[in-house]
Parts: sequence; C-alpha cells; structure tokens
Amino acid sequence: MPRWGMVFDLKRCIGCNACTIACKQENTTPDRVLWTKTVSEEIGTYPNVTRAYIPLICNHCEDAPCERVCPTKATYTREDGIVMVDENKCIGCGACATACPYKNRYKLHQEQFDRGLYRSGQLTPFEKQGYGRFVAGTTVKCTFCHERVDAGLEPACVITCPTEARIFGDLDNPSSKARRIIQARKGYQPLAQHNTKPKVFYVE
Amino acid sequence: MNNHPVQNSMKEGKWVTSTCKMCLHSCNTLVHVTREGIVNKVEGNPSSVSNKGRLCPKGNCALLRLYDPQRIKSPLKRTNPKKGPKEDPGWVPISWEEAFDIVGRELKKTLQEDPRKLLPAINDFQKLFLWAWPAAFGMNANYFTVVGTYCGGGYHPMNGMVHSTFAAANDVDYCNYWMNVGSGDGFSSHLHVASAANYMANARVERGMRVVVVEPRLSIGGAKAEEWIPIRPATDRQFALGLCHVLVKEKLYDVEFLKKDTNAVYLVGPNGYFLRRKEDNKCMVWDPVDQKAKAWDDESIKDYALEGNYRVDGVTARPAFQIFKDTLNDCTPEKMSEITTVPTETIERIAREFATAAQIGSTIRIDGRSMPFRPAAFNYYRGAQGHKNGSLTNHCFKLVNMLVGNIDTPGGHIGCTLDDQWVDKGHVAPGDDGMLKPMPHQLHPEIPFAYPPNTTHLQDYFPLGVDPGHLNNITLTNPERFGFNFYPDTMLICHSNPLWNMPGDQAKWFEIMRKMRFIVAIDIVLNESTVWADVVLPADDTLESWNMTMIEPTNTEGMCLRQPVIPRLYDSKSEEEIFNEISERIGILDVWNQIQNFVCGFPQKPELMLEPGKKYNDRDIAERKGLLWNDKPIEWYQEQGHAVTKRRSDKWYRPWEGMRLHFYIEYILQRRDELKENMEKADVPFRHEWSWGDYQALPDARLDPVHQEPREYDMYAITFKDIQINFTENLSIPWISDIVYKDPVHMGILINPKAAAARGIQNGDVIRLTSPYGKITGLAKVTEGIHPETVGVSNALTRWVDYHMVIKPGGGNFNRLLPADLRNTDACSGQMETVARVKVTKVRSRPANADEFIKSQFYAD
Repeated sequence: MPRWGMVFDLKRCIGCNACTIACKQENTTPDRVLWTKTVSEEIGTYPNVTRAYIPLICNHCEDAPCERVCPTKATYTREDGIVMVDENKCIGCGACATACPYKNRYKLHQEQFDRGLYRSGQLTPFEKQGYGRFVAGTTVKCTFCHERVDAGLEPACVITCPTEARIFGDLDNPSSKARRIIQARKGYQPLAQHNTKPKVFYVE
Repeated sequence: MNNHPVQNSMKEGKWVTSTCKMCLHSCNTLVHVTREGIVNKVEGNPSSVSNKGRLCPKGNCALLRLYDPQRIKSPLKRTNPKKGPKEDPGWVPISWEEAFDIVGRELKKTLQEDPRKLLPAINDFQKLFLWAWPAAFGMNANYFTVVGTYCGGGYHPMNGMVHSTFAAANDVDYCNYWMNVGSGDGFSSHLHVASAANYMANARVERGMRVVVVEPRLSIGGAKAEEWIPIRPATDRQFALGLCHVLVKEKLYDVEFLKKDTNAVYLVGPNGYFLRRKEDNKCMVWDPVDQKAKAWDDESIKDYALEGNYRVDGVTARPAFQIFKDTLNDCTPEKMSEITTVPTETIERIAREFATAAQIGSTIRIDGRSMPFRPAAFNYYRGAQGHKNGSLTNHCFKLVNMLVGNIDTPGGHIGCTLDDQWVDKGHVAPGDDGMLKPMPHQLHPEIPFAYPPNTTHLQDYFPLGVDPGHLNNITLTNPERFGFNFYPDTMLICHSNPLWNMPGDQAKWFEIMRKMRFIVAIDIVLNESTVWADVVLPADDTLESWNMTMIEPTNTEGMCLRQPVIPRLYDSKSEEEIFNEISERIGILDVWNQIQNFVCGFPQKPELMLEPGKKYNDRDIAERKGLLWNDKPIEWYQEQGHAVTKRRSDKWYRPWEGMRLHFYIEYILQRRDELKENMEKADVPFRHEWSWGDYQALPDARLDPVHQEPREYDMYAITFKDIQINFTENLSIPWISDIVYKDPVHMGILINPKAAAARGIQNGDVIRLTSPYGKITGLAKVTEGIHPETVGVSNALTRWVDYHMVIKPGGGNFNRLLPADLRNTDACSGQMETVARVKVTKVRSRPANADEFIKSQFYAD
C-alpha cells in the first residue's frame, strides 16, 4: 500500500496559481474555497530584496489533529494516507478547522452555492453539475484528488503546474520521484514543531 | 457512499482535443465533456511537446469564459442614441437578419462614400487573417488600436530586420546565462507562457542555468532569478550600451562571427551609407593583409578589418564595427551608471559574466550539423523596448547578442516566426550584397507613402513601422493640421478594447468615439469600447468554434486545432461567418476571399485556394490551414489536436547560413531618405516635426524625451502584467479576479518605502499619479520590490467598467498618464512611449469603502 504525499519545489514555483484554479475546475469548489493556493512573501529591503512563492495545501498529516478532534469520526485517514472528510457524518462543528495548525479547512455555507462563482445568483452549468457533491454546513478540504489517485492519475494541481513545482508520489517508495527529491534536497515539513507529521514536504 | 465520481475529470464523458485561446498563444488542450454535455474540465494535452500537458492559470479558466453569464447572447441593438462612458446603451436583442441588415446598410454607405472613413480595431490574434479584412474594404489601412505597437512597435520591425521574424527568444534548450531585461519570458508573460515557464524551470533547476533580471520592478522573473538588478525606467538601452562598451573595449566579442556572419566589416562612408565600388556598386571591406579595399565577395580576401580608418576612392571610410566602437566612447560604464542607476561595477561584472558564459569559440553538433555554441543571451521585451527611441533600443539589444555571436545560434538569442504556414517553408531570404533581406513588415505589407494621408494613424509615414494607433488621438481631433481629405465616421471593433489599450488624452478619445455615425462590435463579452457600439454581434466562444493556429511558438512548431466541443450555447456565430455575411452584403466577398488566400498562404498549395462567390466558414479555413501545414486532413487534427513538434533545427538555428546579418542597418537610412524626399516633394506640412534622428544605422546613448519632462514630475510610472493577466486580461472571470486581487502586486500602486515616506504616504493610502498628460488614483501598496524613483501600476487596476460582476474598477487607466504625440513616438518604428513621468501625492488615508472611492475617482476632475 502506498503512502501518498506531495513535495513542493520552491525553486520552481512561480506563484502563478494555475494549481489553485485547476483544483477549482476539478473539484467545483464554491466561491472563496481554495483547497490549494500559493501565497507570496517579500524578503529583504531594496535593493537586496526577493519574493518567495509558497504553495499551500492540506498536509494530510500522519497524526492529524483534525481527525483526533472530530466528534463524529467524519474525518478519517484512508489506508494510503489520504485524510478525508465523510460529508454524511460531518456535523459542521468546526472543531477540525480550529485544530488544524495550517488553516486548510473550509466550512461551506449555503449562500456560497446560491450566489455562485459570479456572485450573481446565476449558476453556470459547470457549477450545477458539480455542486451536488457538497453539503452546506459541512467542512471540506483537499482530498489529494482521491478519485484520480485511485485511477492511477496524479492530482489536478500537479498535472497542470507549468513549472513542475508539485511532485506527487509514494513516500514509502525509495525510488519514487517525491522520495528521491526529499532525500536529495533535504525536504522539510511545514510547521514541523506541531508534530503532526505532514505528508507534504518543501524543498528549496 | 455513492459510486458516482465527484471529481470532474473522472465523471463519465469524453475528452476532445482543442487549443487554448485564453491568451493570444496556442497551448494544446484536452476538454472533458460529461455525458450530459457539460464542459467540466480543461487540461493541457500531454502529447504536446510545447505545453506538455500543462496550463497557466488563464488556460485553466477556459470553461468559465464559455459559461460566463455576462456573455453576449444574441445580436444587440442600441436604443439610447447618447453615447458616453456613463450612458446605458439600452441594449435590445435583435435577430441576426436585422443585425446584418443594419450593419450591411451602414457599412455599404461608408464603403460607397469613402472606404477610408472606416476605423477598424480587429485584434483576434488566433485569427490573424481577420486583421486583413479592412484591405478588402476598399484597401482601408486604418488602425484604431495599439495592439502590436504598445508591446512591440520597435520590437517587431527590428526582429524582422535582424532575424526575419516577428519575435525572438533565448534558446532555452541550451542557454546557460539568461538575461531578462524588461521582459517576462519564461516566468510571467509573452510567448507561450505555460510552455516557456516549464522549459525555463527545467533549465534553471536541472541544468543550473543562471538568470539575471534587469527591471524597475521585482517581477516573478526577478524574484526567481539569481540576481535582480533594479534600473531606472527607460534607460535599458544605456545599460545595454554600457555592456557593449565593456565587451568591445575588453575585446570580449566573437571576431569570427562578426567577420563572417555580419556586415560589421562593411566599409561605411562619411554619409553613413556603405561605400560601394564604382564599377558594380558592390559593398566593400578592407583586407588588412593586402592593405586594400575589396568588394565584399572578392575571393582573394585574406582577412577582414573590423577596426580602423581607411582612405578609399578619395574618402575616409570605417568598418561598421569601428563606427560602433567610436560611439561607445561616450558609453562608459560610469556614464551609463549615472543614467541607469545600475552601479558601474555591476555593468562591468555582468558584461564579463555574459561574455564568459557565451563560450566564444566553442561549437556544438545538433542533428548532424556542427555550429557555434553560445549559451548566453540577452532577452528583452515590452518594458525595455517600449520607448520613444524604440528602434535604437531594440537594435542595441540585438548588438549585445551579436557581439558574442549568439544570434540564431544554439544557446543564444533566436528569431521566432509568427506563423510559418507550411512546415517546409523557410522564413529567410537573401538580400543585397550578401546580406539577409530585411523584413520589417511582419503583420501586413508596407503602406505606401501618400499625402494627403490615407490612414488616420499616419502609417503612410512609417515605412519601417508598426501601426502607431495612438496617433489617432491627435489626428482625429485636429484633422486640418494633418491635411486629411476625409474624416472617419464608422468603426468596426472585433475582439479589441481600443479605448482601454490606447494611450493619450481620455477626453479626446471620448470625443472621437462620439463623432462616429455607426459603430459595430464583434466580441464575446462587452468592454469599455464596445459599450459605445450601435450594434453588437456575439462571437462564438473558443470551445464552440473551429480554428487552426500556430502563433509565435519559440522552440516548437506546428498547427494547433480548435474544434467545437459542445454546440453553441447562445445565438452566436464564428468570426468567419460574420465577416463573410457582411462582405457579401456590401459586395466585397470575392475580394475578401482573395485576401484570405494571400494572408493564409493558400497559393502555396493552389488546390486550397478559396474561390470567388463562395463563403468559407471557420471549419473550412481551419481545414485548409491544416492541409497547408502538413497535408493532414482535419479529421487527423481532430484526433491528434495538433501537429506540434520541436522546431526543426534547420529553421531554428542559423537558417541564414551563408548570408550576413545586419549589424549596421543601412536599410534604415535608405528608408529615411526616401521618406524625406517623398515628404519634401509632397510638401507635407508636418515634416519638420518628424524626428529624423530616430532613424539610425547604429544606436547611441541619446535620452528618450520622457526624461526631459518638467522636474515637478519627479517619479516614473510603469505598468505591468503577470501570468494571471498575460496578454488578454480576464478579470471578468471570477477565478482570475480571485487570485489577482489576493496578490499583493495587484492590490495597489506599488511604491518604494523611501518614496512613500518622503511624500507622507502610508500603505493603503489613496494616492494620485499626475503626469503632464493625465492622472489616475489608487491605493498605495508599499513594497521593497520597486526602484525608489518608480511607481508600478498593475494592468489589473486599469479597468473602469462596472457591469462585469467580479471586476474591481480602478481609479483611472494607466494609459491616460501617457502622451500620444509625435514627440514621444519613434518616427522610425511608430513605437509609443510606455513610461510616464508623474508626481505622486497623497489624497487621503484609506476610506472604509476603498473600492467604491477609487472607482468614483475615474470620473472625478
């Protein structure tokens, strides 16, 4: 059984957010819900200044605080390590969102579905075909594109990334590209001090 | 758990091949359509060696453009006769029959009265042949937009003269030292950005290619580069001259290349023209071994002199290289440092690094052919070249590359064709005296001289230029001064937003628009310009229509097919159908077919030629373009999606082998003198205002007039785009506006903390930029990533429509800060100035309703 994880190559990422939009296309997440995104940070003072582009996503932690605090066991970890939320069990209490040190969970509100992406109340056929998967009032997050992964495909954000800054793979397989990059370029986990054992790594 | 997939790409349905049109380029795509017929995912096509299955953020938005509720859903007729930026047009839907009746009647009237009375703004880059439709309209050559000029007025003709191509890029497959000067190539903009970003990232990370970025604002490329060198705006030429100074004085140039592959050895006489042998008019060179001048092709030449002064036929002549060397005496790194603010030692170090990385003397074998290998290249684009002296500037950048011998050479700086049309067709041709034939006109044939002028933007006087549409601002508001014997009263806007894209006085643009008797617009959503129309005709979306295109790829080539993935959602038509119908109604269909033949290159395979009397739709044209490229039927393209391969190396590398490149562009002087003579003969009254100094065979360090504005305008204002708004701007799409408005560089007017503090400005304050030509308002965004003398205005802040649901209207358009006049127009290329001098003042601290306040400033005096 693989243990899926993702590596972000900060040297490659240009902060274009193609990933952000590919995720929204793939998952029909409603307005203002971003399961992944890249943010930027200015570093230094003129003229010795640069900008870092940092991709963010659910880290699918091994020791996931969101899962620990969920009163209904709606949040669970699949055998392959993907952390999921069962919308039929989620009661929208928000404990998981509070517990997540990375703030990568979103609670859905009916208003988001009513207003639509154009914030006009006019839903596009695209939205209509996709919103059925969601239950207003529940909490959602990145699923590592679990259905694509089950079909042997890579997540939508990974395949679209123009600079190949996202590397998806089996962290337990020493010959996977993800594992090799973590080894070779000394990958580190985000906010490691929280001890949640993220399955997401960054290399510089 | 239900068993139906919830992820869009996993749902039951089919994948259809297509080509992206979210910018003007042509990434290859796969479009997923569900069993119910809904487009629910667009991905890159992994079979493409160009974008390799990847897409930029804009490409990822294609389906929202298709389903945009703001799309024009049927032909529209205006009911409010009053026109203005605040007027509600009072649109009412009408039938196509009624729309064509009106448009046909009005355009026929114009055609019969005087075809020059039509102002076209046709800017669909993937259907470039449409740009030629006005030629069918009584040889109309007006141009009411600056698409092509804003970014590349000086750029395109210079590429045409140096490489015989429309664009140019560094060779990402082999380059080891990449300079980006005022350009987003490989990171945020320009040619095939998803593809370029991929090749660039691989070159940087896997091959360790070094990137040096020179620009006033820390762009994405600047942030990713090994080194960001901030520079004062509009001084990029002086920076490049500083590099040339070091390369020449320290003899860090490719002697063999200059002697064998360029005209740098041709002797130039005192009048600036090449010295020509009396008996046969051949250009001459100096043979230092035999100590005498010889014809350039004399078989007895033992060596070529690059330097020296020689007495030949009673006059003193110098090799072109010596002239440039003499010019460089005034361009010491110290002097160039004062102008550019780049430290002297940085100019010297970069020049030496560049020359070392170029590995002068090395060779490489590619596809069995041994060639020079020069893996260092100077790349540039709009920000660096978009200035009054655009020709000099572009030429200077080419010379940096020529000195190290990297033009069209593996690892170097390489010409990119707009559209080869046919896989076996080369793009170069031999010219005079062993030189490459200069091809400055890459978009349309040259417009001949005429006085009184036949074109409202004075293209009659730019024998080397790209249409300077911005000059409409002064000609149409003062026609007597320019001697017009007609005045336009009709406008045709097709996939263009001229009011937004053209610089100059806003009130004058509005005045010009108000004078139009009739405006017809063709587009998919309305914009700042098309809301002035009398009739609007809805075009199909990309995902509903056919097209075949191959637009300026760099290291790849091959036609790309667009095909309908679903039936039309609304009562729209393809551009081909619209122009055919109009053409038929006004009696120019046969001419239009002839012109399409010419522009699409169909005569190269005569069986593909359009016949008179027939109307060819979007599929017919696409099919023919595919057949012209590689003889493959459209069904093959429907299956494959594209014919994209790596560019054939015989066309990509040194296609001009055996010809000499134009180091010294005497052709510019020839065209200058011909124009001068024509203007004298015709007694053109404004000929004394023509800046003849813009026509030079070699560049020099003269300052652009923007630096000479009154001192109270003590800062520079620049505008920029990024990958999310590359080329066409798509803020009307919520996914784009979502990511753009969250990005600090698009949240306000960028200003350095020192400049802000000196003016009492804090982050978030409302500030005003006032130039000698106009003003705009916005929120201050204080950032370290900008030159202290510069403010940066994202293109995302420049819209003023308020009927697009998710656009935040800005407090004015950057282009209003720019001049539209002859003084700031390159008399050689038509390039406009794209940098403004401004004073920056605080209006007030940030109000609670900041967006509303900023928007209200658009109309405020």
